[in-house]
Amino acid sequence: MPLIEIKGASKGFGGKGSRSEILKDINLSIEQGEFVVIVGYSGSGKSTLINLISGLVKPDSGVATIAGETITGPGPDRGLVFQNYSLLPWLTVEENIALAVDEVFKDWTPEQRKEHVKKFITMVKLGHASHKLPKELSGGMRQRVSVARTLAMNPKVLLLDEPLSALDALTRAQIQDEISEIWRENLTTVLWITNDPDEALLLADRVIPLLPTAPATLGEPILVDLERPRDRRTLNHDPKFKKLRSQLIGTLLDAKGRNKVKSAVHVTLPDILPEDLTTVNSLQFLNRSGPKRRGDNKREEVEVAA
Amino acid sequence: MHLIQRFKLESILLPVAAILVCGLFWYLIAGKSITTEKVDEFGDKIKVTKREGLSADLPTPGETWTASRLYITEPFAKRGELDQGILRFTWMSLVLVAQGYFIALVIGTPIGFFLGLSKKFTQAFDPLIQVLRPVSPLAWLPLGMILFSGVKFVNSDGRTTFGASDAAALFTIAICAMWPTVMNTAVGVRAVPQDYLNVAKVLKLSKSRTLWKVLVPATLPYMFTGFRLSLGIAWLVIVAVEMLTGRPGVGGFLWQQYNANSYAHIILCILTIGVVGYVLDRLMSVVESRFKTA
Repeated sequence: MPLIEIKGASKGFGGKGSRSEILKDINLSIEQGEFVVIVGYSGSGKSTLINLISGLVKPDSGVATIAGETITGPGPDRGLVFQNYSLLPWLTVEENIALAVDEVFKDWTPEQRKEHVKKFITMVKLGHASHKLPKELSGGMRQRVSVARTLAMNPKVLLLDEPLSALDALTRAQIQDEISEIWRENLTTVLWITNDPDEALLLADRVIPLLPTAPATLGEPILVDLERPRDRRTLNHDPKFKKLRSQLIGTLLDAKGRNKVKSAVHVTLPDILPEDLTTVNSLQFLNRSGPKRRGDNKREEVEVAA
Repeated sequence: MHLIQRFKLESILLPVAAILVCGLFWYLIAGKSITTEKVDEFGDKIKVTKREGLSADLPTPGETWTASRLYITEPFAKRGELDQGILRFTWMSLVLVAQGYFIALVIGTPIGFFLGLSKKFTQAFDPLIQVLRPVSPLAWLPLGMILFSGVKFVNSDGRTTFGASDAAALFTIAICAMWPTVMNTAVGVRAVPQDYLNVAKVLKLSKSRTLWKVLVPATLPYMFTGFRLSLGIAWLVIVAVEMLTGRPGVGGFLWQQYNANSYAHIILCILTIGVVGYVLDRLMSVVESRFKTA
Protein backbone atom coordinates (compact mmCIF):
# COMPACT_ATOMS: atom_id res chain seq x y z
CA MET A 1 0.00 0.00 0.00
CA PRO A 2 1.38 3.43 -0.85
CA LEU A 3 2.12 5.71 2.09
CA ILE A 4 0.41 8.71 0.56
CA GLU A 5 -2.35 8.60 -1.93
CA ILE A 6 -4.44 11.30 -3.59
CA LYS A 7 -7.42 10.08 -5.55
CA GLY A 8 -9.37 12.25 -7.98
CA ALA A 9 -8.78 15.43 -6.01
CA SER A 10 -9.71 18.83 -7.34
CA LYS A 11 -9.55 22.21 -5.70
CA GLY A 12 -10.64 25.73 -6.57
CA PHE A 13 -10.68 29.03 -4.75
CA GLY A 14 -13.06 31.94 -4.64
CA GLY A 15 -16.81 32.13 -4.50
CA LYS A 16 -19.34 32.18 -7.27
CA GLY A 17 -18.44 34.44 -10.17
CA SER A 18 -14.77 34.90 -9.38
CA ARG A 19 -14.13 31.22 -8.85
CA SER A 20 -10.96 29.77 -10.32
CA GLU A 21 -10.21 26.06 -10.44
CA ILE A 22 -6.61 25.35 -9.45
CA LEU A 23 -6.26 21.59 -9.52
CA LYS A 24 -8.29 18.98 -11.36
CA ASP A 25 -8.38 15.24 -11.15
CA ILE A 26 -5.12 14.80 -9.26
CA ASN A 27 -4.03 11.19 -8.75
CA LEU A 28 -0.80 10.60 -6.93
CA SER A 29 0.65 7.80 -4.87
CA ILE A 30 3.94 7.84 -3.04
CA GLU A 31 5.57 4.70 -1.68
CA GLN A 32 7.31 4.43 1.65
CA GLY A 33 10.90 5.71 1.36
CA GLU A 34 10.42 7.24 -2.05
CA PHE A 35 11.80 10.64 -3.08
CA VAL A 36 9.23 12.27 -5.33
CA VAL A 37 9.66 15.70 -6.88
CA ILE A 38 6.85 17.63 -8.51
CA VAL A 39 7.97 20.25 -11.02
CA GLY A 40 5.76 22.98 -12.32
CA TYR A 41 5.51 26.60 -13.30
CA SER A 42 5.13 29.28 -10.65
CA GLY A 43 1.53 29.84 -9.74
CA SER A 44 0.34 26.60 -11.31
CA GLY A 45 -0.97 25.17 -8.03
CA LYS A 46 2.07 23.37 -6.65
CA SER A 47 1.62 24.78 -3.16
CA THR A 48 -2.05 23.90 -3.20
CA LEU A 49 -1.14 20.35 -4.14
CA ILE A 50 1.31 19.92 -1.27
CA ASN A 51 -1.12 21.54 1.12
CA LEU A 52 -3.68 18.88 0.24
CA ILE A 53 -1.27 16.47 1.90
CA SER A 54 -0.16 18.76 4.71
CA GLY A 55 -3.82 19.29 5.56
CA LEU A 56 -3.79 23.08 5.33
CA VAL A 57 -6.09 22.81 2.30
CA LYS A 58 -9.01 20.44 1.94
CA PRO A 59 -9.90 19.07 -1.50
CA ASP A 60 -13.27 20.02 -2.99
CA SER A 61 -13.68 16.51 -4.29
CA GLY A 62 -11.62 13.35 -4.00
CA VAL A 63 -9.54 12.27 -1.03
CA ALA A 64 -6.00 12.46 0.23
CA THR A 65 -4.87 9.67 2.52
CA ILE A 66 -1.78 8.89 4.56
CA ALA A 67 -1.21 5.26 5.50
CA GLY A 68 -4.79 4.55 4.49
CA GLU A 69 -6.31 7.26 6.69
CA THR A 70 -8.06 10.28 5.22
CA ILE A 71 -6.25 13.55 5.85
CA THR A 72 -8.55 16.01 7.58
CA GLY A 73 -6.11 18.55 9.00
CA PRO A 74 -2.46 19.28 9.67
CA GLY A 75 -0.55 16.88 11.85
CA PRO A 76 2.97 16.14 13.00
CA ASP A 77 3.14 12.94 10.91
CA ARG A 78 3.51 15.15 7.82
CA GLY A 79 6.41 17.52 8.27
CA LEU A 80 6.04 20.62 6.13
CA VAL A 81 9.04 22.80 5.25
CA PHE A 82 7.85 26.22 4.14
CA GLN A 83 9.21 28.16 1.21
CA ASN A 84 9.94 31.19 3.40
CA TYR A 85 11.31 29.14 6.33
CA SER A 86 8.59 30.42 8.70
CA LEU A 87 10.83 30.36 11.73
CA LEU A 88 9.46 32.31 14.66
CA PRO A 89 11.75 35.35 14.78
CA TRP A 90 11.56 35.76 18.57
CA LEU A 91 12.85 32.25 19.26
CA THR A 92 16.45 31.07 18.90
CA VAL A 93 17.37 28.16 16.63
CA GLU A 94 17.21 25.80 19.59
CA GLU A 95 13.85 27.17 20.81
CA ASN A 96 12.33 27.01 17.35
CA ILE A 97 13.14 23.33 17.11
CA ALA A 98 12.20 22.70 20.74
CA LEU A 99 8.77 24.20 20.07
CA ALA A 100 8.08 21.34 17.66
CA VAL A 101 9.77 18.66 19.75
CA ASP A 102 8.00 19.64 22.98
CA GLU A 103 4.67 19.46 21.24
CA VAL A 104 5.18 16.11 19.52
CA PHE A 105 7.02 14.21 22.24
CA LYS A 106 5.03 15.29 25.26
CA ASP A 107 5.66 12.09 27.17
CA TRP A 108 9.45 12.37 27.02
CA THR A 109 11.54 13.75 29.85
CA PRO A 110 12.96 17.26 29.35
CA GLU A 111 16.47 15.76 29.05
CA GLN A 112 15.37 13.40 26.29
CA ARG A 113 13.77 16.25 24.40
CA LYS A 114 16.81 18.45 24.80
CA GLU A 115 19.03 15.66 23.51
CA HIS A 116 16.70 15.17 20.55
CA VAL A 117 16.81 18.87 19.66
CA LYS A 118 20.58 18.84 19.89
CA LYS A 119 20.81 15.82 17.61
CA PHE A 120 18.95 17.56 14.83
CA ILE A 121 20.83 20.83 15.21
CA THR A 122 24.03 18.82 14.75
CA MET A 123 22.53 17.00 11.79
CA VAL A 124 22.05 20.26 9.88
CA LYS A 125 25.49 21.45 11.06
CA LEU A 126 24.27 24.41 13.08
CA GLY A 127 25.77 23.47 16.45
CA HIS A 128 27.67 26.75 16.61
CA ALA A 129 24.52 28.82 16.00
CA SER A 130 22.02 27.11 18.29
CA HIS A 131 21.55 30.23 20.44
CA LYS A 132 21.21 32.65 17.58
CA LEU A 133 18.00 34.29 16.44
CA PRO A 134 16.81 33.63 12.87
CA LYS A 135 17.64 37.20 11.83
CA GLU A 136 21.30 36.55 12.62
CA LEU A 137 21.42 33.63 10.19
CA SER A 138 21.83 33.55 6.43
CA GLY A 139 19.02 32.31 4.22
CA GLY A 140 20.60 28.90 3.78
CA MET A 141 21.10 28.48 7.53
CA ARG A 142 17.50 29.45 8.17
CA GLN A 143 16.23 26.86 5.75
CA ARG A 144 18.44 24.28 7.45
CA VAL A 145 16.84 25.17 10.78
CA SER A 146 13.45 24.79 9.18
CA VAL A 147 14.40 21.35 7.86
CA ALA A 148 15.76 20.36 11.26
CA ARG A 149 12.58 21.53 12.96
CA THR A 150 10.51 19.43 10.60
CA LEU A 151 12.70 16.34 10.76
CA ALA A 152 12.83 16.52 14.55
CA MET A 153 9.13 15.69 14.64
CA ASN A 154 9.97 12.30 13.09
CA PRO A 155 7.36 12.74 10.38
CA LYS A 156 6.28 9.84 8.18
CA VAL A 157 6.78 12.08 5.20
CA LEU A 158 8.76 15.23 4.62
CA LEU A 159 6.90 17.79 2.51
CA LEU A 160 9.03 20.57 1.06
CA ASP A 161 7.30 23.46 -0.67
CA GLU A 162 9.90 25.11 -2.94
CA PRO A 163 12.31 25.02 -0.02
CA LEU A 164 15.29 26.52 -1.84
CA SER A 165 13.72 29.06 -4.16
CA ALA A 166 14.72 32.00 -1.95
CA LEU A 167 18.39 31.01 -1.93
CA ASP A 168 21.25 31.86 -4.25
CA ALA A 169 22.36 29.18 -6.70
CA LEU A 170 25.47 28.05 -4.83
CA THR A 171 23.78 27.76 -1.44
CA ARG A 172 20.98 25.99 -3.23
CA ALA A 173 23.29 23.32 -4.57
CA GLN A 174 24.86 22.83 -1.18
CA ILE A 175 21.56 22.38 0.62
CA GLN A 176 20.23 20.10 -2.12
CA ASP A 177 23.17 17.83 -1.43
CA GLU A 178 22.67 18.07 2.32
CA ILE A 179 19.00 17.20 2.22
CA SER A 180 19.67 14.41 -0.23
CA GLU A 181 22.23 13.03 2.20
CA ILE A 182 19.86 13.33 5.15
CA TRP A 183 17.23 11.47 3.14
CA ARG A 184 19.61 8.59 2.32
CA GLU A 185 20.61 8.29 5.98
CA ASN A 186 17.10 8.47 7.44
CA LEU A 187 15.14 6.90 4.59
CA THR A 188 12.15 9.09 5.17
CA THR A 189 9.64 9.59 2.40
CA VAL A 190 10.06 12.94 0.68
CA LEU A 191 7.71 14.95 -1.47
CA TRP A 192 9.58 17.92 -2.86
CA ILE A 193 8.06 20.72 -4.89
CA THR A 194 10.16 22.90 -7.14
CA ASN A 195 10.16 24.95 -10.30
CA ASP A 196 13.68 23.88 -11.24
CA PRO A 197 13.89 20.81 -13.56
CA ASP A 198 17.60 20.28 -12.78
CA GLU A 199 16.95 20.25 -9.07
CA ALA A 200 14.16 17.74 -9.64
CA LEU A 201 16.28 15.31 -11.66
CA LEU A 202 19.21 15.64 -9.30
CA LEU A 203 17.21 14.67 -6.25
CA ALA A 204 14.29 12.50 -7.23
CA ASP A 205 13.51 8.85 -7.71
CA ARG A 206 10.51 9.98 -9.65
CA VAL A 207 9.69 13.37 -11.14
CA ILE A 208 6.10 14.31 -11.82
CA PRO A 209 5.43 17.39 -13.95
CA LEU A 210 2.49 19.53 -12.93
CA LEU A 211 1.09 20.68 -16.24
CA PRO A 212 -0.07 24.28 -16.47
CA THR A 213 -3.41 23.48 -17.98
CA ALA A 214 -6.21 25.42 -16.36
CA PRO A 215 -6.95 23.83 -13.95
CA ALA A 216 -3.61 22.09 -13.53
CA THR A 217 -3.24 18.33 -13.85
CA LEU A 218 -0.38 15.94 -13.21
CA GLY A 219 1.58 14.67 -16.19
CA GLU A 220 3.21 11.31 -16.79
CA PRO A 221 5.82 10.56 -14.11
CA ILE A 222 9.44 10.28 -15.21
CA LEU A 223 11.51 7.64 -13.45
CA VAL A 224 14.99 8.88 -12.63
CA ASP A 225 17.19 5.79 -12.44
CA LEU A 226 20.48 7.57 -11.97
CA GLU A 227 23.09 6.15 -9.60
CA ARG A 228 23.23 7.60 -6.11
CA PRO A 229 25.05 9.52 -4.73
CA ARG A 230 24.69 11.84 -7.68
CA ASP A 231 27.53 14.20 -8.40
CA ARG A 232 26.29 17.37 -10.02
CA ARG A 233 29.58 17.93 -11.84
CA THR A 234 29.66 14.62 -13.71
CA LEU A 235 25.89 14.51 -14.03
CA ASN A 236 25.89 17.45 -16.41
CA HIS A 237 27.68 15.30 -18.99
CA ASP A 238 25.76 12.10 -18.34
CA PRO A 239 23.80 11.27 -21.52
CA LYS A 240 21.02 9.65 -19.48
CA PHE A 241 20.62 12.82 -17.42
CA LYS A 242 20.60 14.96 -20.54
CA LYS A 243 17.91 12.78 -22.09
CA LEU A 244 15.74 12.91 -18.97
CA ARG A 245 16.15 16.63 -18.77
CA SER A 246 15.13 17.27 -22.34
CA GLN A 247 12.18 14.94 -21.85
CA LEU A 248 11.05 16.78 -18.71
CA ILE A 249 11.55 20.25 -20.10
CA GLY A 250 9.86 19.18 -23.32
CA THR A 251 6.82 17.97 -21.41
CA LEU A 252 6.54 21.21 -19.47
CA LEU A 253 7.04 23.46 -22.50
CA ASP A 254 4.62 21.46 -24.65
CA ALA A 255 1.95 21.73 -22.00
CA LYS A 256 2.48 25.47 -21.82
CA GLY A 257 2.26 25.74 -25.61
CA ARG A 258 -0.90 23.70 -25.81
CA ASN A 259 -2.48 25.83 -23.19
CA LYS A 260 -3.39 28.66 -25.55
CA VAL A 261 -6.53 30.54 -24.68
CA LYS A 262 -9.63 29.23 -26.38
CA SER A 263 -12.24 31.92 -26.05
CA ALA A 264 -15.89 31.15 -26.69
CA VAL A 265 -17.32 34.50 -25.66
CA HIS A 266 -19.85 36.12 -27.95
CA VAL A 267 -18.53 39.63 -28.47
CA THR A 268 -20.89 42.51 -29.08
CA LEU A 269 -19.38 45.78 -30.19
CA PRO A 270 -20.59 48.89 -28.40
CA ASP A 271 -23.50 50.59 -30.06
CA ILE A 272 -22.66 54.16 -29.09
CA LEU A 273 -21.86 57.02 -31.41
CA PRO A 274 -19.11 59.39 -30.38
CA GLU A 275 -20.20 62.57 -28.66
CA ASP A 276 -20.08 65.71 -30.77
CA LEU A 277 -17.58 67.69 -28.75
CA THR A 278 -18.35 71.00 -30.46
CA THR A 279 -21.63 71.10 -28.55
CA VAL A 280 -20.04 70.42 -25.16
CA ASN A 281 -19.77 74.09 -24.26
CA SER A 282 -23.18 75.01 -25.59
CA LEU A 283 -26.50 74.79 -23.77
CA GLN A 284 -27.54 72.13 -26.24
CA PHE A 285 -25.30 69.72 -24.39
CA LEU A 286 -27.34 70.07 -21.19
CA ASN A 287 -30.57 68.68 -22.60
CA ARG A 288 -29.14 65.75 -24.49
CA SER A 289 -30.83 62.52 -23.45
CA GLY A 290 -28.13 59.95 -22.87
CA PRO A 291 -25.68 58.57 -25.38
CA LYS A 292 -26.61 58.44 -29.04
CA ARG A 293 -26.82 54.96 -30.44
CA ARG A 294 -26.34 53.79 -33.97
CA GLY A 295 -29.75 52.15 -33.73
CA ASP A 296 -31.30 55.61 -33.17
CA ASN A 297 -30.12 56.85 -36.52
CA LYS A 298 -32.98 56.48 -38.93
CA ARG A 299 -30.79 57.24 -41.88
CA GLU A 300 -27.08 57.07 -42.01
CA GLU A 301 -25.16 58.61 -44.82
CA VAL A 302 -21.64 57.62 -45.37
CA GLU A 303 -19.54 59.75 -47.65
CA VAL A 304 -16.91 57.93 -49.55
CA ALA A 305 -14.08 59.86 -51.12
CA ALA A 306 -13.96 59.04 -54.78
CA MET B 1 33.58 65.07 11.84
CA HIS B 2 32.84 68.63 10.85
CA LEU B 3 29.44 67.58 9.64
CA ILE B 4 28.62 65.82 12.92
CA GLN B 5 29.61 68.89 14.90
CA ARG B 6 27.43 71.07 12.75
CA PHE B 7 24.55 68.67 13.03
CA LYS B 8 24.80 68.58 16.82
CA LEU B 9 25.11 72.32 16.98
CA GLU B 10 22.00 72.73 14.87
CA SER B 11 20.02 70.20 16.83
CA ILE B 12 20.65 72.27 19.96
CA LEU B 13 20.71 75.76 18.53
CA LEU B 14 17.53 75.57 16.51
CA PRO B 15 15.25 74.41 19.35
CA VAL B 16 16.80 77.03 21.65
CA ALA B 17 16.14 79.69 19.03
CA ALA B 18 12.52 78.56 18.69
CA ILE B 19 12.05 78.65 22.47
CA LEU B 20 13.51 82.17 22.60
CA VAL B 21 11.18 83.36 19.85
CA CYS B 22 8.15 81.93 21.65
CA GLY B 23 9.37 83.44 24.94
CA LEU B 24 9.71 86.82 23.28
CA PHE B 25 6.21 86.57 21.86
CA TRP B 26 4.95 85.63 25.34
CA TYR B 27 6.76 88.61 26.83
CA LEU B 28 5.27 90.94 24.23
CA ILE B 29 1.66 89.96 24.78
CA ALA B 30 1.99 89.60 28.56
CA GLY B 31 0.81 92.39 30.88
CA LYS B 32 3.43 94.60 32.47
CA SER B 33 3.12 96.34 35.80
CA ILE B 34 3.48 100.06 35.33
CA THR B 35 3.95 102.16 38.43
CA THR B 36 3.09 105.82 38.22
CA GLU B 37 3.33 108.44 40.90
CA LYS B 38 0.40 110.71 41.34
CA VAL B 39 -1.02 113.05 43.87
CA ASP B 40 -4.22 111.95 45.54
CA GLU B 41 -7.03 114.20 46.76
CA PHE B 42 -5.32 114.70 50.14
CA GLY B 43 -2.26 116.07 48.39
CA ASP B 44 -0.07 113.04 49.21
CA LYS B 45 2.17 111.45 46.66
CA ILE B 46 1.13 107.81 46.12
CA LYS B 47 2.29 105.08 43.81
CA VAL B 48 -0.32 103.49 41.61
CA THR B 49 0.43 100.14 39.96
CA LYS B 50 -1.53 99.24 36.88
CA ARG B 51 -1.15 96.28 34.55
CA GLU B 52 -1.13 97.09 30.91
CA GLY B 53 -0.59 95.06 27.81
CA LEU B 54 -2.33 92.97 25.19
CA SER B 55 -3.30 90.41 27.81
CA ALA B 56 -3.08 92.39 30.98
CA ASP B 57 -3.47 89.52 33.46
CA LEU B 58 -0.93 87.23 31.78
CA PRO B 59 2.29 87.27 33.81
CA THR B 60 5.56 87.84 31.98
CA PRO B 61 8.21 85.09 31.85
CA GLY B 62 10.14 86.88 34.57
CA GLU B 63 7.14 87.19 36.86
CA THR B 64 6.32 83.54 36.27
CA TRP B 65 9.79 82.53 37.34
CA THR B 66 9.72 84.73 40.44
CA ALA B 67 6.37 83.33 41.51
CA SER B 68 7.27 79.72 40.74
CA ARG B 69 10.79 79.67 42.12
CA LEU B 70 9.78 78.34 45.50
CA TYR B 71 7.90 75.41 43.93
CA ILE B 72 10.81 74.46 41.72
CA THR B 73 13.70 74.95 44.13
CA GLU B 74 11.90 73.00 46.84
CA PRO B 75 10.16 70.48 44.60
CA PHE B 76 9.27 68.05 47.39
CA ALA B 77 8.22 70.51 50.11
CA LYS B 78 4.84 70.12 51.73
CA ARG B 79 3.50 73.35 53.15
CA GLY B 80 -0.14 72.41 53.06
CA GLU B 81 -2.56 70.06 51.32
CA LEU B 82 -2.75 72.28 48.24
CA ASP B 83 0.59 74.06 48.60
CA GLN B 84 3.33 71.60 47.82
CA GLY B 85 6.47 71.40 45.68
CA ILE B 86 5.76 70.84 42.02
CA LEU B 87 7.42 67.43 41.83
CA ARG B 88 5.45 66.29 44.87
CA PHE B 89 2.27 67.17 43.02
CA THR B 90 3.57 65.49 39.89
CA TRP B 91 4.34 62.36 41.85
CA MET B 92 0.78 62.23 43.22
CA SER B 93 -0.62 62.58 39.71
CA LEU B 94 1.76 59.94 38.39
CA VAL B 95 0.70 57.44 41.05
CA LEU B 96 -2.93 57.88 40.11
CA VAL B 97 -2.09 57.67 36.40
CA ALA B 98 -0.10 54.49 36.97
CA GLN B 99 -3.04 52.85 38.71
CA GLY B 100 -5.56 53.85 36.07
CA TYR B 101 -3.15 52.98 33.26
CA PHE B 102 -2.55 49.55 34.74
CA ILE B 103 -6.30 48.89 34.84
CA ALA B 104 -6.58 50.11 31.24
CA LEU B 105 -3.89 47.68 30.04
CA VAL B 106 -5.26 44.73 32.02
CA ILE B 107 -8.72 45.25 30.56
CA GLY B 108 -7.76 46.62 27.14
CA THR B 109 -5.26 43.98 26.01
CA PRO B 110 -7.60 40.98 26.30
CA ILE B 111 -10.41 42.93 24.62
CA GLY B 112 -7.97 43.70 21.80
CA PHE B 113 -7.12 40.02 21.48
CA PHE B 114 -10.77 39.03 21.32
CA LEU B 115 -11.41 41.69 18.68
CA GLY B 116 -8.45 40.52 16.64
CA LEU B 117 -9.23 36.82 16.90
CA SER B 118 -12.98 36.66 16.51
CA LYS B 119 -14.86 38.19 13.61
CA LYS B 120 -18.17 37.73 15.42
CA PHE B 121 -16.86 39.51 18.50
CA THR B 122 -15.68 42.39 16.32
CA GLN B 123 -19.03 42.63 14.57
CA ALA B 124 -20.81 42.65 17.91
CA PHE B 125 -18.65 45.14 19.79
CA ASP B 126 -17.06 47.35 17.17
CA PRO B 127 -19.96 49.83 16.89
CA LEU B 128 -20.12 50.10 20.67
CA ILE B 129 -16.39 50.74 20.92
CA GLN B 130 -16.46 53.30 18.13
CA VAL B 131 -19.20 55.18 19.96
CA LEU B 132 -17.55 55.07 23.38
CA ARG B 133 -14.04 55.86 22.14
CA PRO B 134 -14.47 59.58 21.40
CA VAL B 135 -16.24 60.36 24.71
CA SER B 136 -14.35 62.99 26.68
CA PRO B 137 -12.98 62.27 30.16
CA LEU B 138 -15.08 65.18 31.40
CA ALA B 139 -18.15 63.17 30.48
CA TRP B 140 -17.00 59.90 32.01
CA LEU B 141 -16.13 61.31 35.40
CA PRO B 142 -19.68 62.12 36.58
CA LEU B 143 -20.76 58.65 35.47
CA GLY B 144 -17.91 57.20 37.51
CA MET B 145 -19.07 59.20 40.52
CA ILE B 146 -22.53 57.67 40.20
CA LEU B 147 -21.23 54.16 39.54
CA PHE B 148 -18.95 54.14 42.54
CA SER B 149 -20.98 56.35 44.86
CA GLY B 150 -21.00 53.60 47.50
CA VAL B 151 -17.23 53.13 47.55
CA LYS B 152 -15.67 54.25 50.81
CA PHE B 153 -12.64 52.82 52.56
CA VAL B 154 -11.94 54.38 55.95
CA ASN B 155 -8.69 53.98 57.86
CA SER B 156 -8.38 53.74 61.66
CA ASP B 157 -8.44 57.52 62.13
CA GLY B 158 -11.82 57.69 60.45
CA ARG B 159 -10.38 59.39 57.37
CA THR B 160 -11.45 58.23 53.98
CA THR B 161 -8.49 56.65 52.17
CA PHE B 162 -10.29 55.65 49.01
CA GLY B 163 -13.63 57.24 48.23
CA ALA B 164 -16.07 57.60 45.37
CA SER B 165 -14.02 60.35 43.73
CA ASP B 166 -10.87 58.21 43.76
CA ALA B 167 -12.74 55.30 42.22
CA ALA B 168 -14.32 57.60 39.65
CA ALA B 169 -10.90 59.05 38.81
CA LEU B 170 -9.43 55.59 38.21
CA PHE B 171 -12.48 54.59 36.20
CA THR B 172 -12.17 57.67 34.00
CA ILE B 173 -8.46 57.22 33.35
CA ALA B 174 -8.88 53.53 32.63
CA ILE B 175 -11.81 53.87 30.26
CA CYS B 176 -10.27 56.78 28.34
CA ALA B 177 -6.76 55.37 28.11
CA MET B 178 -7.92 51.88 27.15
CA TRP B 179 -8.85 52.48 23.50
CA PRO B 180 -5.45 52.81 21.82
CA THR B 181 -4.38 49.58 23.50
CA VAL B 182 -7.59 47.86 22.41
CA MET B 183 -7.37 49.04 18.81
CA ASN B 184 -3.65 48.45 18.34
CA THR B 185 -3.75 45.00 19.89
CA ALA B 186 -6.66 44.07 17.63
CA VAL B 187 -4.83 45.33 14.55
CA GLY B 188 -1.66 43.54 15.66
CA VAL B 189 -3.46 40.23 16.14
CA ARG B 190 -5.05 40.53 12.70
CA ALA B 191 -1.65 41.33 11.21
CA VAL B 192 0.06 38.18 12.51
CA PRO B 193 1.51 36.62 9.33
CA GLN B 194 -0.38 33.59 8.09
CA ASP B 195 2.97 31.78 7.96
CA TYR B 196 3.29 31.81 11.73
CA LEU B 197 -0.24 30.57 12.13
CA ASN B 198 0.48 27.80 9.61
CA VAL B 199 3.51 26.82 11.67
CA ALA B 200 1.30 26.59 14.73
CA LYS B 201 -1.19 24.50 12.77
CA VAL B 202 1.38 22.14 11.30
CA LEU B 203 3.07 21.66 14.67
CA LYS B 204 -0.39 21.14 16.17
CA LEU B 205 0.34 23.59 18.96
CA SER B 206 -2.34 23.71 21.63
CA LYS B 207 -4.50 26.83 21.91
CA SER B 208 -2.62 28.24 24.88
CA ARG B 209 0.80 27.54 23.37
CA THR B 210 -0.28 29.15 20.10
CA LEU B 211 -1.34 32.19 22.11
CA TRP B 212 1.83 32.51 24.18
CA LYS B 213 4.43 31.27 21.71
CA VAL B 214 3.06 32.72 18.48
CA LEU B 215 0.27 35.28 18.84
CA VAL B 216 1.54 37.32 21.80
CA PRO B 217 5.15 37.66 20.58
CA ALA B 218 3.99 38.51 17.07
CA THR B 219 1.59 41.14 18.41
CA LEU B 220 3.97 42.70 20.97
CA PRO B 221 5.24 45.54 18.73
CA TYR B 222 1.68 46.64 18.02
CA MET B 223 0.70 46.24 21.66
CA PHE B 224 3.52 48.51 22.78
CA THR B 225 2.54 51.18 20.29
CA GLY B 226 -0.91 51.00 21.86
CA PHE B 227 0.57 51.12 25.36
CA ARG B 228 2.53 54.25 24.50
CA LEU B 229 -0.50 56.05 23.07
CA SER B 230 -2.56 54.93 26.08
CA LEU B 231 -0.03 56.41 28.48
CA GLY B 232 -0.21 59.72 26.63
CA ILE B 233 -3.99 59.76 26.99
CA ALA B 234 -3.87 58.70 30.65
CA TRP B 235 -1.63 61.68 31.34
CA LEU B 236 -4.03 63.98 29.47
CA VAL B 237 -6.99 62.67 31.42
CA ILE B 238 -5.40 63.04 34.83
CA VAL B 239 -5.42 66.84 34.63
CA ALA B 240 -9.11 66.98 33.76
CA VAL B 241 -9.91 64.48 36.50
CA GLU B 242 -7.98 66.37 39.14
CA MET B 243 -9.55 69.64 38.13
CA LEU B 244 -13.04 68.20 38.52
CA THR B 245 -12.46 66.28 41.73
CA GLY B 246 -10.12 68.75 43.38
CA ARG B 247 -7.61 66.04 44.25
CA PRO B 248 -4.15 67.31 45.09
CA GLY B 249 -1.92 66.89 42.06
CA VAL B 250 -0.68 68.95 39.14
CA GLY B 251 -4.16 69.42 37.68
CA GLY B 252 -5.73 70.13 41.07
CA PHE B 253 -3.01 72.66 41.85
CA LEU B 254 -3.58 74.32 38.49
CA TRP B 255 -7.30 74.75 39.05
CA GLN B 256 -6.85 75.98 42.62
CA GLN B 257 -4.29 78.58 41.53
CA TYR B 258 -6.64 79.76 38.81
CA ASN B 259 -9.34 80.27 41.41
CA ALA B 260 -6.78 82.05 43.62
CA ASN B 261 -5.90 84.44 40.78
CA SER B 262 -2.33 83.18 40.92
CA TYR B 263 -1.83 83.01 37.20
CA ALA B 264 1.92 82.45 37.16
CA HIS B 265 1.43 79.03 38.72
CA ILE B 266 -0.91 78.00 35.92
CA ILE B 267 1.94 78.43 33.49
CA LEU B 268 4.23 76.51 35.80
CA CYS B 269 1.69 73.65 35.85
CA ILE B 270 1.25 73.66 32.08
CA LEU B 271 4.99 73.46 31.53
CA THR B 272 5.32 70.68 34.11
CA ILE B 273 2.51 68.68 32.53
CA GLY B 274 4.09 69.09 29.11
CA VAL B 275 7.58 68.10 30.22
CA VAL B 276 6.36 65.09 32.19
CA GLY B 277 4.21 63.95 29.26
CA TYR B 278 7.19 64.27 26.96
CA VAL B 279 9.44 62.29 29.28
CA LEU B 280 6.82 59.54 29.64
CA ASP B 281 6.45 59.31 25.88
CA ARG B 282 10.22 59.08 25.37
CA LEU B 283 10.50 56.37 28.02
CA MET B 284 7.74 54.35 26.41
CA SER B 285 9.19 54.68 22.94
CA VAL B 286 12.51 53.37 24.24
CA VAL B 287 10.69 50.33 25.62
CA GLU B 288 8.70 50.08 22.39
CA SER B 289 11.75 50.10 20.16
CA ARG B 290 13.24 47.26 22.17
CA PHE B 291 10.30 45.10 21.19
CA LYS B 292 10.21 46.34 17.60
CA THR B 293 13.34 44.41 16.80
CA ALA B 294 11.83 41.13 17.96
